[in-house]
Amino acid sequence: MKKTFRLVSVTLWAVLNDMLVIGKLGRKRKAMYAGVVLFTLLMSVLSFFYNFMMGSGLKMFDSLDILPAIIVSAASFVILMTTIFKIKGTVFGFKDYELLMSLPVSTTAVVASRLIILYCFNFLFTIILILPMTIAYGILARPGFGFYIMSLVLMFAVPLIPLITASVLGTVIAYILSKFRRNNLLNIIFSISLMLIIIALTFAFRGDEQELVNMSKAITQQVYGLYPLARLYTNAVINSDVLAFFLFLCISVSAFILYALIVKRLFKKINTLLMTGQTRANFKLGKIKTGSPLKALYSKEIKRYISSSVYVLNTGIGIVLLTISTIAGFFVDLEGIMGGELMFSLAKDNAVLYLIIFIMVSCTSMASISIEGKNFWILKTLPVTPMAIFISKIALNLTICLPALLDAVLIGILLKLDFLRIILMFFIAAASALFISQYGLIINLMLPNFSWTAEVAVIKQSAASVVTIFSSFIFFAVFFIFKFVIPTGAGAYLGYLLFMLIVDMILYCILKSYGVKRFYSL
Amino acid sequence: MLKITNFSKSYKRGIKAVDNLNLEVKSGDIYGFIGHNGAGKTTTIKSVAGVLEFEEGEITIDNISIKRDPVACKQRMAYIPDNPDLYEHLSGIAYLNFIADIYQVDKTERRKLIEEYASAFELTQNLGDAIGSYSHGMKQKLAIISALIHKPKLLILDEPFVGLDPKAAHTLKTLMAKICNEGSAIFFSTHVLEVAEKLCNKIAIIKGGKLVAHGATSEVIGNSSLENVFLELIEDKQ
Repeated sequence: MKKTFRLVSVTLWAVLNDMLVIGKLGRKRKAMYAGVVLFTLLMSVLSFFYNFMMGSGLKMFDSLDILPAIIVSAASFVILMTTIFKIKGTVFGFKDYELLMSLPVSTTAVVASRLIILYCFNFLFTIILILPMTIAYGILARPGFGFYIMSLVLMFAVPLIPLITASVLGTVIAYILSKFRRNNLLNIIFSISLMLIIIALTFAFRGDEQELVNMSKAITQQVYGLYPLARLYTNAVINSDVLAFFLFLCISVSAFILYALIVKRLFKKINTLLMTGQTRANFKLGKIKTGSPLKALYSKEIKRYISSSVYVLNTGIGIVLLTISTIAGFFVDLEGIMGGELMFSLAKDNAVLYLIIFIMVSCTSMASISIEGKNFWILKTLPVTPMAIFISKIALNLTICLPALLDAVLIGILLKLDFLRIILMFFIAAASALFISQYGLIINLMLPNFSWTAEVAVIKQSAASVVTIFSSFIFFAVFFIFKFVIPTGAGAYLGYLLFMLIVDMILYCILKSYGVKRFYSL
Repeated sequence: MLKITNFSKSYKRGIKAVDNLNLEVKSGDIYGFIGHNGAGKTTTIKSVAGVLEFEEGEITIDNISIKRDPVACKQRMAYIPDNPDLYEHLSGIAYLNFIADIYQVDKTERRKLIEEYASAFELTQNLGDAIGSYSHGMKQKLAIISALIHKPKLLILDEPFVGLDPKAAHTLKTLMAKICNEGSAIFFSTHVLEVAEKLCNKIAIIKGGKLVAHGATSEVIGNSSLENVFLELIEDKQ
């Protein structure tokens, strides 16, 4: 047991360090730890307000009791989705597998430590969602003491079933994909398809309009239909049904124990299967293609990007969603969905925001320096200027954002905007893509992390990515200033475009001066 | 070819990793760089390769300062670190083509050299596989091939024999002698003193960041062996 917890603590600290390491700026590390705590608190507060608002709304339709079931289902659903693709790298196929298995530690201890780590990540997420819900429901419904006790106890069990489901699915997917030579590409296609199916299903549920009188029943049935365990949860915490309480606990815990026993049995076998590299050893030198150094760097960036499904899913999904939602807009009654002419007109005025937000979250460059990791020496010793390297990294980001230019035109046509605004939207999309590419790169040069052990740590959990995403919204918000100053016509669009172009030029100058110096000093 | 003048490199809190080092590697030299772990070998080598920045002293390659024109210097040299972490997602051939594109090696020359070196290191059949599936030795071989295919004037190697099988080590030694005969220069660190003694025409011994001996191998070792000289020098200075 002692060894298991030692393994857990070592891994958790390694993950935290991966997330928080920001180069040589030792002092800033404390600030970053504080930042993470603040971020968690902020998310909890936001979660509370969201729950409270939702609960108040449900109370109006006499449906407050469904709130815990909705949140438990939502939490389980998110855990399922985020864990499926985390299994390979956490429980199976993780980097230090060989090192751990060579230590005088039993397989049981190693398996237990991996499952505890997986549980810990998901439990933290569960707390952020369920604890604020419990408080919000408590304020709104004023339930008895039993509600709090049962909610708190069941909170520990909530992540178990989605975690097991995700783990089984994730392992099967990883195993099937490992049989293919281009498994990363297949993984990306499969993951994006799965996400789109889920989003489509969510819309399908929302599209089913019910009369207000029947809404409560409809929501309840939908939630229970999506996640049957939510019914047990509701019965336990709302109706103080002790049997439901123990049934929920028993199902979750026994399933987890059973799962742990199965994993223990198959641990070595699955890891061996997943970690055995595909080799053919039958290469014959064929036709050789040559290219310029810049083309070689760009091609290397593209290959690096596609090789990481985590990278693609976290930075490319925004543009995929933007494109699909734009195309889908041509096949639905947009005005009807928006609920009338007024909303349609509002959408016309602010269409550019919809476009920019998807571009701003499609930033590959915020991790493009850190992702080099132990390979960074190659870039440092190549006979190319740092600017050539930066351009190749910016070019990758621009390539990802390329569909947004077409989307800008399509959105303009869809919302029946005038020609001038469509043209301005096109250029705003281009300027925003250039902005986020350069901005992310500068932030990553300032806050690099080359000592990561898992890609996900630099792609979405690093200081650089958090700072880039959150601070870029300031530039997004500038549009509102232009909108406030020039409320009608295309003036705000033009003003914002000029603003973004000036910012782009400033960022280019920063890259050329500070960026180059910083690159040499890394 | 390589001239290191009054080179010093300090780390945090002013601790000097290398202290006022002077050294010259001429065309045709196979220059061995020997020292304890932490003596300053890798710091020196990384500074020469342009991986580390430095404030004191000067390093020139082919009379070009690495500080003032790093790109021109890097165009003339190749560097292989002690643990070559290569792009694991690329296949061996894709990596070689990437390096060849960067150094603008023409198609005919590229094909000829890849065939020659991959065959010498018995890696041809594996060039289509992802580098991630390679063993440490195979990665080392690929790094060596990538360094040789653009015919560098100066080859900087940090512990090049680690991980190589005996046959590959022999091949590397033969190739090192060959390219130096053709006018290139090699500056490399090693802990294998027998190899250094047999292979190098010049040797430098570093201890605590300072050179304690350097010059022609025959002059440095005299009638003794490199191992004895090295141990004596290290003991003396302690």
